[in-house]
Amino acid sequence: MLVMSRREGDTILIGDEIEIVISHIGRSKVKVGIRAPRTVPVIAREVKLVRDQNLAAATGPLSSPGLTSLLSRLKPASGAAPGESRKAPVSPVLQRNGKPARQYKIGEKSG
Amino acid sequence: MSSFETKNFGTVSYETGSVLEFPRGLPGFEDRRRFLALQFADSKPLVFLQSLEDSGLCFITLPILAADPEYRLEISPEDREVVGLPLAATLQIGADVLCLTVLSLEETGPTANLLAPVVVNISNLKAVQAIAPDSHYSHQQALLPQETVAC
Repeated sequence: MLVMSRREGDTILIGDEIEIVISHIGRSKVKVGIRAPRTVPVIAREVKLVRDQNLAAATGPLSSPGLTSLLSRLKPASGAAPGESRKAPVSPVLQRNGKPARQYKIGEKSG
Repeated sequence: MSSFETKNFGTVSYETGSVLEFPRGLPGFEDRRRFLALQFADSKPLVFLQSLEDSGLCFITLPILAADPEYRLEISPEDREVVGLPLAATLQIGADVLCLTVLSLEETGPTANLLAPVVVNISNLKAVQAIAPDSHYSHQQALLPQETVAC
């Protein structure tokens, strides 16, 4: 990796079309300006990590032996409470205006 | 009540007031804005984030404190603005915000994205996947000790 020392206000060129300006050096952060053609995507590395992770998560299955094993660790007395249908949805989570959410109702699974 | 046909759960009926709104979508899914948070008796405490715009899009998530009881939420000013959270306030998970971590089911076991939790403002149900600034958290935190995983 090429390492350069630069002062505030200095510029680095990558090829003919990409310019990187060291716009501000703070105590623990550096502000960097980047000028690049629109065709060159510029994103922070962690955004790409999260995007790739989301794409992988969304295309995977919704269950796995590992997930089952995780669930049994999270609730040692696993399974539905007596009288509670295993597939019955538990209303989660939230309702606007602080009102308790009503139960979700789920119909017959089609197909 | 409205209803939506999902690929994984059949028809789901819901109140419009319970829809989570992601004003900027999620990284990789920027045009997916409306989700339901579903929980089922047999898979608690998992929360399934089901898209209302794509019947097949569903993320498996876990309340982040179930994945890491010590988790410290950091959220950038930009992300606070997206969901209408005050810039300076300390946010309490469970009281001010719902905080979910997206799981990936890898062959080696489930992992949690602790780098970028889904943060929901409880007062308006606006949500953002907030990449923690200056974070040491992993986007692929293993949730099971490796030797216990059955593949």
